[in-house]
Amino acid sequence: MTVTTTRVFPEWLNKSLDDALLECREMVESPEFETVARWREGGGLVVGHFQVYFPEEIAHAAGMLPFKMRGAPLEPDQADSHFGSYLCSILKTSLELSVSKRVELDVFFSHPICDAARNLAAIWGRNHDYPSQILYLPQNPNSSGSVDYLRHEYDRARRVIEEIAGREISDDDLQRSVEVFNENRRLMRELYEIKSERPWLIAAEDAYALVALAGMIPREEHNELLSTLLPLVRERTNKKEDRIRLVFEGGFCEQPPFDLVRMLGRTSYVVDDDFLIGLRWITSDVPSEGDPLRSLAEAYIEASSYSPVQHDLRKPKEQMLLERIRESGAEAAILSAAKMCEPGLEEQVAYTHALDEAGISYFVTEFEENMSSFDQLEMQLETFVENLLFA
Amino acid sequence: MTIDTAVSDLVGRGNREGAALFKDWFTELNETAENGGQAAYVFVMGSFNEILKAFDLPVVFPEINSLQTAVRRVAHEYLEEAEDYGYSPDVCGYVKADVATQLRGGEHPMGRIPPPAISVLTNACNTYIKWAEIWERFYDTPTFTIDVPGTRQAGGQTWSGDSDFEADRKYVEVQIRELIKVCEAVTGKKFDIDKFREILTHANTMSRSWKRILELNQATPSVFSALTDGTIFLGVANGFRGTEVGARYFERLVEEMEYKVANGIGTALEEKYRLLFVGVPCYPIFRRFNELFTDWGGTFVNSTYLWFASGGTNRGFEYDLKDPIASLAEGVLVSVRDAMDAMFYQNEALEEMIDDFSVDGVIYHPIKSCRTVSTGLADGRRYLTKDRDIATLFLESDMMDRRVVSEAQMKNRIDAFFEGLASRRRLAGSKG
Amino acid sequence: MAYAAGVDVGSTQTKAVVIDEHRNIVGRSLLDTGANVIKAAESAYVAALKQGGVDEEEVEFVVGTGYGRYRVTFGNTQVTEISCHGRGAVHLFPETRTVVDMGGQDTKAISVSASGEITDFCMNDKCAAGTGRFLGAAAAALDIPLGDLGRVSLQSNRPIKISTTCTVFAESEVLAWIGKGKKIEDILAGVHKSIASRSASLMRRVGVDDQVTFTGGVSRNEGMVKALEDRLGTELNISEDCHYMGALGAALFAHDHVISGRSPATEGAGVSS
Repeated sequence: MTVTTTRVFPEWLNKSLDDALLECREMVESPEFETVARWREGGGLVVGHFQVYFPEEIAHAAGMLPFKMRGAPLEPDQADSHFGSYLCSILKTSLELSVSKRVELDVFFSHPICDAARNLAAIWGRNHDYPSQILYLPQNPNSSGSVDYLRHEYDRARRVIEEIAGREISDDDLQRSVEVFNENRRLMRELYEIKSERPWLIAAEDAYALVALAGMIPREEHNELLSTLLPLVRERTNKKEDRIRLVFEGGFCEQPPFDLVRMLGRTSYVVDDDFLIGLRWITSDVPSEGDPLRSLAEAYIEASSYSPVQHDLRKPKEQMLLERIRESGAEAAILSAAKMCEPGLEEQVAYTHALDEAGISYFVTEFEENMSSFDQLEMQLETFVENLLFA
Repeated sequence: MTIDTAVSDLVGRGNREGAALFKDWFTELNETAENGGQAAYVFVMGSFNEILKAFDLPVVFPEINSLQTAVRRVAHEYLEEAEDYGYSPDVCGYVKADVATQLRGGEHPMGRIPPPAISVLTNACNTYIKWAEIWERFYDTPTFTIDVPGTRQAGGQTWSGDSDFEADRKYVEVQIRELIKVCEAVTGKKFDIDKFREILTHANTMSRSWKRILELNQATPSVFSALTDGTIFLGVANGFRGTEVGARYFERLVEEMEYKVANGIGTALEEKYRLLFVGVPCYPIFRRFNELFTDWGGTFVNSTYLWFASGGTNRGFEYDLKDPIASLAEGVLVSVRDAMDAMFYQNEALEEMIDDFSVDGVIYHPIKSCRTVSTGLADGRRYLTKDRDIATLFLESDMMDRRVVSEAQMKNRIDAFFEGLASRRRLAGSKG
Repeated sequence: MAYAAGVDVGSTQTKAVVIDEHRNIVGRSLLDTGANVIKAAESAYVAALKQGGVDEEEVEFVVGTGYGRYRVTFGNTQVTEISCHGRGAVHLFPETRTVVDMGGQDTKAISVSASGEITDFCMNDKCAAGTGRFLGAAAAALDIPLGDLGRVSLQSNRPIKISTTCTVFAESEVLAWIGKGKKIEDILAGVHKSIASRSASLMRRVGVDDQVTFTGGVSRNEGMVKALEDRLGTELNISEDCHYMGALGAALFAHDHVISGRSPATEGAGVSS
C-alpha cells in the first residue's frame, strides 16, 4: 500500500500520560488542524467528509487521509456571506476552514443527514475546483434492497476516490483497511468501557480529545496512540468521587465547545455520549474476508449506533437513548442540540417525553460551537447537578 | 363536482375550478374523519399517489394543511400549541402546525383531518423523515420512507441505461413493491395492476399538461401568476394526481392558457417587469406579498416552487404502461430528483428560465422554516449574479411564522429593488 | 433660486437637507424622531430651511425617505433610503462602489454603479446585532455616553471576544466581562469588533469594491470606523455629511425633478403609496 509514512501527530510521543493528553487536547482544540497540513506536506491526499458517518475505509484504502469535517470554533469571516440566516454554525465554519485554506482537500463528501447538509455539497462544489459529492446513505435501511443499494453507492464512491488518488482500490486494499479500522473500533470501545465503568480514570475532555483525533490523523497513528495511552489510563490510581453519572446527547454533528465538555467533566462523570458518533458508528468488527464493500454496507445497516439523522424503524431514538442510559448506569441526561439544528431540536421533544415517562432527570440546552461565554449555562448546569446530588 | 364546459367564461376558469376541487377534497377528508376513517399521509415531493389511489386511500398532504392555517391566518395559534408541547421556535412551521392539528384531533380551518392509516414519504426533505417519526409515536401506524437518491454532484445526473441509474432504479423499485405489500396489509385489498395502469394514464395526462402550462407562460404578457394562480394549480396537481378529474382539470387549464396566449390576455393590467420566484411563498401575507410586486407592474412568470412542490412533475415524465412498476420507479427517480435539483442545483435551470421567459429580475425568498429550500440560496445567488447580468432581490422571512415576517421591512426592500430595475432599464435604454 | 429638499425619517433620528440648483448643501438639520413621526419630519424640514435661509416657497420638490417616508406629508414623492444612500454616497465620493449604512435599527450594504444606480443591496435581518442599537445596549451597560464609545474603544490593545449576537444579551455579556475584571476599553473594542465583523460579512454579500463609503449615524463613531477599516483592510470614505446621506440622496432625487420635471431615475416611485 502507498500510505505516506509521514507521522502527522508526533507531539505526544515519549511523554507522560498527563502531558500526552495535554498534547491531544491542544491538537483537537486548535482550529488550524495542523495534522492535515502535515499530511499534505508529506505528499498525501485528503478526502474531506462532512458529519456524521462516512466509510473511511475506502479513502484509507486509496492511501488518502479521511478527514472528518466537524466545523471549528472560529468566526466564519469569509463563509458567512455564502449563507442566509437561521442556519447552524458547523455549515459555515466547515466552509470557512476550506475557503480560508486552513484545511485543503482533494474531494469533499456530504450526506443527506439533514436539509442543510445536503445543500452543503452543492455550495461546496460552487466554491471549489475539486469534486464535491453527496453520498446517499439510506434512510430506509428497513428495505430488503438497502444493502445492495448501499454497496453500489460505496462502489460509486470508490470510483470517485480512485480517480482522485490516481490508482485502483482493490478488494485486498479494502480488506487491509477494514482490519486497521476494526482495531480502531476495538480501542474506541475500550475507551468507552473505561468511561462508563471507571469514569474517574479519565476526564470527559480527555476522552473527547482522544476520539476527535481519529478524524484528523491516520488510523494507524490513532491505533498506536490509543494502545499506548489506554493501558496507562487504566493504571491510574485516581479516587472515585461522589459525582452524578450523566449521558450527553446532542454531539452527533456540530460539536459543543471544548470548554463545555470541560465544564461537564468538572461537575459530573460523562459516562456515555454521542460525541462524534460517526467515528464510532459501526459497533462491531466488520468481516475482513469476502466482499469488503458489502461487509461495510451490511455493518452500516445491521451493526451501527443511532443518531437523530438516521431513520430506522428498528431504532426509535428515544428507546435507544433509554438503552444508552441504562447500559452506562447513568442517573441523568443532558439533552443538547446545536442552535438551528432541526433534527437535534426535533429529537429533543421525543427524548424529553420518553425520559419524563421513565422518570429520568434531564437538562435541556442548546449550544453553538463558537460560543465563548458559559456563565449562564454553567450556573444552570451546576444547579441541575446539585439538585440531583442533594435530592 | 360537475365541470362547466362553456367556453364563454374561459378566462379564470382554472382558478374557479381549482378552488372548487380543493374544497371538494377537504370536504371528502372531513367526511372520512367524521366517519372514523383514516387516510394516507403523504408529501409533495414524491407523494406515491399512483400507488395509494390504487388502494382507494384518501390522501392527506400535511404540508398543504399547514400552509392553509397560514393563509387563513390562524397559523400562530397552531405554532404556539406545538411550541408549548416542546417544539423549538427554530423548527419547521409546517411540522409544528401539523403537530398541533394532530393534538387537536384533526381540527383544521378547512374541516376535520382524518388520522393516518399509513404515511409514505421520500428522503427528498429530511424534515419529512423527522415529521413522520412524530406520527409513528402518536399513532403507531406504518411509516414508509422511500429512498430516492438524488443528484450526487453538480451536472452529474445519470439516466436510464447507466449502471448507476439502474442501481438506483432497482432500489426504488424494490421499495415500491414493499410499499404495495404494506398497503395491502393496511387496507386488506389486493393490488390491482389494471386499476394502477389507469391511474398512471391520468397521471401522464396531468404531467404532460402541467409541462405545457408552464411553457405557455413564456408568452408576453404572461398568462398566469406563478405565485398566486400557480399555487391553486399545485393544490390540484398534488391532491388529484392519478385521478380522472385531475387529468381533465389540467387539460382544461391548457385550453384556457392557450386561449389567453392566443388572445394576448395577460395576468396583469400592465406587465412592466417579468420576475422569477425562488423559494416558498410567504403564506402569512400571501396576497399582500404578491401586491408588493404587482403594484410596481411586476409579474411572476415562473418559480422553482412550481417545480419542487409538484414533485418534479413539471418535467412531464410519462410512465410506460407496459412495465408500470419499473416505470414508476424511473419516473419517481427522475421527477423527485428534479424537485431536489430545483433546490440544491438550481442555477443552470434559472439561467435557462431567464432566457426562455425573458426575465427582468429574480426574487429569492429563503424562509426560516425550510432549510431544504433555503440553505443554498445565498450562495446560489452569488454565482447567478456572477454569471449573468440580472437584478436579484433576497428577502428572508417565513412561510408560516408571522413573527419573522416584517411587511414594512419587505416593502422597503421591494421598493428599492424596483427603483433599481427602473434605473437599470433607463440606462439600458440610453445606451440604445 | 430653485431649491430641492430631502427628508430622511429614520427609526431613531430624522434628517433634512436642502440643496441649491448646483447641488450644494445649503441647509441641514437633525433631530430625534420620537413618537410623532409627521411632526418630526416637519420640524426637521423647517429647521433645515431656516439654517439655509431658504423660504419654503423656493423649494420646488421634496422627496421623503427612510422608514417614515410616507409620513413626510408635505413631500412630493418617496424613494427608499437604500436608493438615497447609494445616490448620496456617489455624489459626495464619486468613486464609491460599496456603501455601508449603519443606523439605529439596521445596517445596509449597498453596491452602486458609477452613475449612482443600485446594483445590489443586503440588510441585516430580524436582529439588531451589528447596528447602532447594539452599541446603545453596550453603552447603557457600561454607563458611558454613546458619543464617547468609539474614542474609549480606541484605547484598547487587548479586545475581548463578544460571542452573543443578540442585542438583548449584549448588555448581560458586557456586565459579565466587567464582573471578570476586564477593562472597559477592551470590552468596548470587542463590541466594535463584533459589529464590524457582522457588517463586513453583510458587505461581502454585495461585494466589497473600491471605494467604500460609510454612512449613517454610526459613521460618526471613530472606533467603528477603525474597526471596519481593520476588518476590510481598506480605508473608508467619511465625511461630516455621511450622517445626512439619506436626506442628501433624497434631495438629489428631488433635484432631478426640479431640472427635468420628472426624473426617470425615480419613475414609478411612490405608485404603491
